[in-house]
Amino acid sequence: MGLARTLSMRALTLVAVLVLVVFFMVIILGATGTSDKILQAMVNEEVMMLRQSLAKTIKDPQELERVINIRKQELMEFYGLTKPWYVRLPDMAWRVLTLDLGKARTLKTFAGGNKVSDIVIERLTNTIILVTSATIISALIGLVLGVRIATKVGGILDRISSYMSAISYAIPTWWIGIILIMVFSFLLKLFPFGGLYSAPPPSDPYLRFLDLLWHSVLPVTTLVIASVGVWIYTTRTIVLNTAQEDFVNAARARGLPEELVRRRYIMRVAAPPILTNVILGLATSISGAILTETVFNWPGLGRLFYDAVLVMDEVVVIALTYIFTLVYVVARFLLEVLYVTLDPRVRY
Amino acid sequence: MLVRFREAFQEFWRLKVSKVGVVFLMILVFLSVYVVTSYPLDFGVRYWNNPAYWADYPKSAPPSWVNYFSDQKLPEHHVFIYNKPSDIISTESGRTLLYVFRLDFQADKSPTFISFTLENLTYYSDPLVARLNVTRPDGKNIELYRYIAPAPYAGESPPYKRFYDSPKRISITGDISVASVLARFLLREYNVSIKPSEINSIGQHTIVFSIPGPDKEFYVLKGEYIFMVSINTYDSRDYVGEVKLVIGGNVYGFMGTDSLGRDLSIGLLFGFPIALFIGIVTSTITTLLGAGLGIVGGYVGGKVDEVIQRAADFVNNIPLLPLLIFLAFILGQNMWILVFLLVAFGWPTLTIIVRSMVLQLKSSQFIEAAISLGAPRLWIMFRHIFPQVAPFIFAQLIFFTPTFILLEAALSFLGLGDPTMPTWGQILEYGFRSGGIYVGLWWWIIPPGLLIIWTAITFVLIALGMEPVVNPRLRRMK
Amino acid sequence: MALLEINQLKLYYKTLRGIVKAVDNVSFDVEAGEAIGVVGESGCGKTSMANAIIKMLPSNVSLYQGRIILDGINIVDLPEDEVRRKIRWRQISIVFQGAMNVLNPVIRIGHQIAEPLVIHAEMEKEEAYRIAKEKMMLVGLHEEVFDRYPHELSGGMKQRVVIAMALVMNPKIIILDEPTSALDVSIQAQIMNLLKKLKKDLNISMIFITHDIALSSDISDKIAVMYAGQIVEIGSAEQVLLSPKHPYTQKLLKATPKLISEEKPEFIPGAPPDLINPPNGCRFHPRCSYVMDICKEVEPKIFEPEKNQKVMCWLYGDKT
Repeated sequence: MGLARTLSMRALTLVAVLVLVVFFMVIILGATGTSDKILQAMVNEEVMMLRQSLAKTIKDPQELERVINIRKQELMEFYGLTKPWYVRLPDMAWRVLTLDLGKARTLKTFAGGNKVSDIVIERLTNTIILVTSATIISALIGLVLGVRIATKVGGILDRISSYMSAISYAIPTWWIGIILIMVFSFLLKLFPFGGLYSAPPPSDPYLRFLDLLWHSVLPVTTLVIASVGVWIYTTRTIVLNTAQEDFVNAARARGLPEELVRRRYIMRVAAPPILTNVILGLATSISGAILTETVFNWPGLGRLFYDAVLVMDEVVVIALTYIFTLVYVVARFLLEVLYVTLDPRVRY
Repeated sequence: MLVRFREAFQEFWRLKVSKVGVVFLMILVFLSVYVVTSYPLDFGVRYWNNPAYWADYPKSAPPSWVNYFSDQKLPEHHVFIYNKPSDIISTESGRTLLYVFRLDFQADKSPTFISFTLENLTYYSDPLVARLNVTRPDGKNIELYRYIAPAPYAGESPPYKRFYDSPKRISITGDISVASVLARFLLREYNVSIKPSEINSIGQHTIVFSIPGPDKEFYVLKGEYIFMVSINTYDSRDYVGEVKLVIGGNVYGFMGTDSLGRDLSIGLLFGFPIALFIGIVTSTITTLLGAGLGIVGGYVGGKVDEVIQRAADFVNNIPLLPLLIFLAFILGQNMWILVFLLVAFGWPTLTIIVRSMVLQLKSSQFIEAAISLGAPRLWIMFRHIFPQVAPFIFAQLIFFTPTFILLEAALSFLGLGDPTMPTWGQILEYGFRSGGIYVGLWWWIIPPGLLIIWTAITFVLIALGMEPVVNPRLRRMK
Repeated sequence: MALLEINQLKLYYKTLRGIVKAVDNVSFDVEAGEAIGVVGESGCGKTSMANAIIKMLPSNVSLYQGRIILDGINIVDLPEDEVRRKIRWRQISIVFQGAMNVLNPVIRIGHQIAEPLVIHAEMEKEEAYRIAKEKMMLVGLHEEVFDRYPHELSGGMKQRVVIAMALVMNPKIIILDEPTSALDVSIQAQIMNLLKKLKKDLNISMIFITHDIALSSDISDKIAVMYAGQIVEIGSAEQVLLSPKHPYTQKLLKATPKLISEEKPEFIPGAPPDLINPPNGCRFHPRCSYVMDICKEVEPKIFEPEKNQKVMCWLYGDKT
């Protein structure tokens, strides 16, 4: 009962965030005149195609110009270019929400298309592969080590991990990636400099998968190094705090076996707050992914972002900002579903 | 209050991390002050991002101290500048100004280029004629280049001033006439026949600094080289401002150079004040804004609080970097815009924490006492609530600083840094974009990263040192 | 023979400041179906004693010795694993101080109550749940509480849950450590009535630990007064309450407010002793108004001025 209500409330909040972000973006785009530029480009595109097709039928150049001008006026009207930018805010927002942003100026899909939505969507999977595998590995290492350290507080491992998490707070993820490339690709020649597959990619699916693994070692390691310190430290702290709770002692007094106490009374209770930390760290993982993909030329959304900024492809930048917010909101919602199922206390 | 501060400081100073952090911070501040006082304000535009300024520097050269660690000694970079001739010879047609450059060359590889530059040539009758000669350790002499200053224009009257604003740079390396001279030289002296175009690709500088072997390989000739620029003048008032000879090295300075020949030590130094400025200023504004909104929201409550809470929740729920990239991209790359954006996205964390602290304080007895005495709201917020949360806010200010330094670096690395001033992130970005990491230009890639980390660590250490002061529970455990 | 015999029990902890003698030579017996109240100021070692009885020792324990004989077995010498399997909850269960936080927040109430049955008695789940529900009814909880989570219950309900948990294995002895101190007075009375009812119906032995001597008089057959890790007086409830022998007990009773009396409650001068460096001789002597020279030098022996009323005070015995 409370579960569905809590979740739908969260979903509503997150959708509101998404819509607000889009409106905020559109206002910025409108006020800076960028949206005019984008719509104008879409009009010009259609006019150009029209000119090509009409040129075959209408031979008189003056007549051609006249027809095209009429059509152009209609298109300007249609895209709202005749009205001030704040009037077409909702229209522009809808365009962003549905990724109806026309064509990228220079960036292309792997197959050569230049529709923004295609470009963005085909890269999404690569980003998800990278981020989820890195998160799962960091989580596993963090949980295992964090729990172990929590049983030996003040030991060497504990001190190392607390220093590590402090230091990892001060090290830029992308610089770690660069150093890994210098050491493992340039110096030791163990791993490729970047990319998703070798060129040309192996045709055998199994070898192809191995090739992908080989290419993902360094980027995944980079993301893991960047986040594992925090994982270990928060796990340690939360497990430690939970282990000192009265109910753990009470469970021991009931003669429950230590293994069960640890699993059901410490880990199970510590899980939701640890998950909260994951949720809070989500934005950081997305930033980490953008920079890491850039460094390793990993053809995901992050690298696309870098390329789009580099070649000043503003429609792609807009689409990506929106997609990243969307991915963030969806991921956050999924984690919150997990959180609510794990922690009965928030089901209200 | 003062006693409390002293106690807090003693508590802080007891920890080793605090001492290290403070020493680091003092070094950072010292370097920043040095840079701010000694660098021109338009350093970025006028020097750093102006390729012409770096033309005479070796490209992608490692630091000169690498020679201590390798068997093969790479040539150092040499720049000779003369404002006055070293000798003057009077002839019947006029005077000849002599500029002599002596170079004791002991490296195992030949230099990377040779160039000479003339600045501010003034003549009254016939144009000046400049010649560049070199006498090698084996006694052989080559006249490398002859240059005649541009003749007077139609209607121009003396004095004829040439290269007054921008100097005339003549690159011996890559000059086809020099290549012909050298081809003749090789044939005459060593009976080796190489086409000028071939010499052009081997490099004129290589021929000058070596002896050819039988199979067109070249062995570096060590010893003293004497370069001489002689300029014939035809009027006693003729004047030469500056003569510069550059023998391009393979190593440069303490930090090396990038692929444009920019001296990295200069750029890296310039990064100190900017990193500190962005970190500290952004953090201060963010903390004050965040804490202020938290205090107001928590204390005033009601609608005001509701609005602040909603806004904080909203900002907290959006992924930071993508939106930062979007805004920096659309609004333009400017440091002030960046600071503004970082503040706009940074305040909610603190607002939420401070608000809950204020809510607790609000129900405490001394605040209720102050209210019952009829103290005005603002007075209570400033005099009673603020001092209570101030130590925590100050610690957060320190703790947030590295975040902003890293964010600026990240944006710069993505190509969204302020182009008018070099930052560590931008130096790294250029190193990355121009492929420096793929050919192992470590001196270009490692130092800026280490400096970012060092600066960030400084604040992390201070924050760690402050933790027991701010968090009394930890204090007791020690 | 007594059900539980505690003899010369000692429990010391190591801390940075020194050794804490939390339980020092404590001896008493618990008969079947008997409730014994243990009273004393906070920090006098009551809770440590409760933990010592079921061998729940903190990691910094430095000395744990003496005898706790239950069914002819000395718990002190029993290996941890056997204590866990044979003693805890099967024989002796405990209701901890501060019921608010002794329940696992993410497990349903019923499961928590039934858990020891499944683990210790290797019962089927359904059977265990049935018994758990039975015990819940016994302590006056509605069956629907079974599927609830701890945060959905009031303080009084939680305390009932904790008591139901303590009863689930039908232990011989139940230790109650300040079972009502965190509750409102009205709820406190309800819980006390419940405990009295349980004692009568189940014929279970209770060790009732409290700082409130009045509360303990409500339920206890026997009362032990603890001071600085030692039991300074023990006797039947009537003896201790009506004719207290130890000066500390006397002061403690005078400090308790009475409803129908002109007497003003008195407070005991001085602070409770430091368990790391307890005073020489009698530990109460710095606060005692009958202090004699010997009290400052020699620890008192145990005297029995009345039958079954034992006092650790030089006022009642042969000073040689």
